[in-house]
Amino acid sequence: MNNKFDALKDDDSGDHDQNEENNTQKDSEKEKNDREKPQSTTKRKAVVPGPAEHPLQYNYTFWYSRRTPGRPTSSQSYEQNIKQIGTFASVEQFWRFYSHMVRPGDLTGHSDFHLFKEGIKPMWEDDANKNGGKWIIRLRKGLASRCWENLILAMLGEQFMVGEEICGAVVSVRFQEDIISIWNKTASDQATTARIRDTLRRVLNLPPNTIMEYKTHTDSIKAWEEFHGLVNSSGR
Amino acid sequence: MSGRCCHGQTPNRDIPGPGKCLALPDEAPLPPGDYSTTPGGTVFGTTPGGTRIIYDRKFLMECRNSPGAKTPPSDLPDIPGVTSPGVEELKLENHHVQSCEEKVSAAGEEEQFDMDI
Repeated sequence: MNNKFDALKDDDSGDHDQNEENNTQKDSEKEKNDREKPQSTTKRKAVVPGPAEHPLQYNYTFWYSRRTPGRPTSSQSYEQNIKQIGTFASVEQFWRFYSHMVRPGDLTGHSDFHLFKEGIKPMWEDDANKNGGKWIIRLRKGLASRCWENLILAMLGEQFMVGEEICGAVVSVRFQEDIISIWNKTASDQATTARIRDTLRRVLNLPPNTIMEYKTHTDSIKAWEEFHGLVNSSGR
Repeated sequence: MSGRCCHGQTPNRDIPGPGKCLALPDEAPLPPGDYSTTPGGTVFGTTPGGTRIIYDRKFLMECRNSPGAKTPPSDLPDIPGVTSPGVEELKLENHHVQSCEEKVSAAGEEEQFDMDI
């Protein structure tokens, strides 16, 4: 990572866009806005496995975000950028969502699917994420759908064996490449991050020379702030 | 049959919800030596984080074809180009799923793909 632009590029994995608006707000305001989002204030029935369904260890929520082309991201709110698709509690409920969503490889533009444990927002600032980080794997075009499926099946099936550490997974569809990442709670826990890396290699069937990068969210925030500092000073 | 899949060191009461006993086809292999693995592909294991509900990929893929896994969720938002709550798409998707699975089983689980990055 040689300069700030590289730092940002390295992190182009679907989690900084939505923070743009929040950057200009105080934390308290941000929390308030989050709570006021319609999808949060709507009273939702607790999601539970149906009769004879196979329960998952955790409930998960699918999210989708997309950067609107031709508009500066700063004018788009978090709310405009990210949508909750739905929450599920069983294997069967997962398939009901998944089978009615396009595969990541068929998404257009600058889009992301996020699959996070229910209650964890796909944001660096969420309590579950703030001390965490993520493994990032860059994929050439054509591999995202298959890798994403294998990644989330491993996560839902508790293949990572790291207790409560996993927060969620993201697939980011970009212009020339796609990126998948998996987020965990404690970036400083090297035993955990190593185990996640090894599980990723196993479940994604990655060749031994695949480059996998671990990035703490603190570093991601720093890189984001530096980049946007530059943008602001040039007159945005 | 049901007695076979409720063995091992994981007490039944620790396994939340239904699904701890699998209906096994007659040709299902007998329980392997590893106590935490049940025939039919579902694994309930004890990990450093405590008792977890563990499923392998093969089992999850098999669940995809169960009737309860096919209808779109009633609260699925309609996001053009992203979600397809309609029935037409459902048919297409199911057809697609079947053809994919045929391919996978023909190639064998291990050879599912060989990624080249």
